[in-house]
Amino acid sequence: MSDDRRFEELVLPHLNAAYNLARWLARDANDADDVVQDACVRALKYVGSLHGNEARAWFLTIVRHAFYDWLGRNRPSEIVQDDGTALDTAIDHAAVDPEQSASRNDQTQALVDAVAALPLQYREVLVLRELEELSYKEIARVADIPIGTVMSRLARARALLQRSPLLHAVAGNMSGSER
Amino acid sequence: MNCNEAAATIAAYADGEVDRLRSHTIRKHLRTCPSCAAKHQELLALHARIRAEIPYFKAPSALRERVLATFADATPARGDRVRSADRWRWMTGGALAGCAATIVAWVIGTAIVDWRTNEDLAVEAVTTHVRATLGNHRVEVASSDQHTVKPWLSARLDYSPPVRDLAREGFALVGGRIDYLDRRPVAALVYRYRDHMIDVFVRPPTTHAPPAALRTVRGFNVAHATRSGMDWLAVSDLNAAELSNFVARVAQ
Repeated sequence: MSDDRRFEELVLPHLNAAYNLARWLARDANDADDVVQDACVRALKYVGSLHGNEARAWFLTIVRHAFYDWLGRNRPSEIVQDDGTALDTAIDHAAVDPEQSASRNDQTQALVDAVAALPLQYREVLVLRELEELSYKEIARVADIPIGTVMSRLARARALLQRSPLLHAVAGNMSGSER
Repeated sequence: MNCNEAAATIAAYADGEVDRLRSHTIRKHLRTCPSCAAKHQELLALHARIRAEIPYFKAPSALRERVLATFADATPARGDRVRSADRWRWMTGGALAGCAATIVAWVIGTAIVDWRTNEDLAVEAVTTHVRATLGNHRVEVASSDQHTVKPWLSARLDYSPPVRDLAREGFALVGGRIDYLDRRPVAALVYRYRDHMIDVFVRPPTTHAPPAALRTVRGFNVAHATRSGMDWLAVSDLNAAELSNFVARVAQ
């Protein structure tokens, strides 16, 4: 199969996943566009090395690399190392997505804002898990971290959301929930 | 298992990442420990809220065009580019839809279920769903309150369909309408899950063989359950796994 055929058949079906990830990482529609376009160019170049059954994780790995390269060029200050103190200090209050607010109620918007405000390292594992529904193993591969780190970052991401000042309403909701 | 051990695995358990043996141990602990059980519930509730409220951004069509153009530039010799691009616009209608189709294909391919007899019913349910969507005739009684929707439907049918509030699971009740299925008027409940609309047709069980638990018709998923003395048929463009989850909850 030629490279362009492989790209069409294996990679293109995951364009929405790529865009969703880029969009949640970059938190901006135009920037996500740039990142995905760059990722597609790279994916087309390396598609020969792709095995069919792992196309989604493979493409998302490329999207993530493309994003970090883009970040280094455009917003280097956002690349911060996690020194373990982030849990209490890391909420990024500036990261609110005005595009989303139009038709949503306040509660929903609070959760959207809280996710957008998560520090990058936590946001990416949360999005890969909750929205892209990747397994821990796939996330470890995409984010290039051990599975133990996937688990601790996910736990932190969730703790940050549950404790987020942007949505104290969540705690009330959850304690009343029965399943 | 004690609470310390449980704390380390509850999240993995909630994420479905724990093997069966260990799941069994955790379930046992959760039954006896209210504080760990509460933590588990909190995780499930957060998960449900994220799934229901956090938008999944689909690639804009302009971006898709540009990607296709890039790749046409890279391979200019292809004569069928336009037709191919068209085909992909359809086929990449959503990564989720793609995954859902794969799951459905697998489920249907492996489970030997005799859905053939009920093919017409599933097709009719999808047609009815599409007609309601296109005709903007989605609800005749618009309310998120089950105590408004249920009496409205009961007053217009010779049975009373159960109506559940599933807002906590992320399925918002939008309302209901009377529709026709299998040459009979039926209750249609309308729920919304993220950007997906779900029609669930509720009627007393018929004497026909029950339809397959899950089917796909023209890209729509159709999930069936017989419970609470009713026949439940849910139709949506929502993915198969979540629609099955929905029908299990709405019918319980």
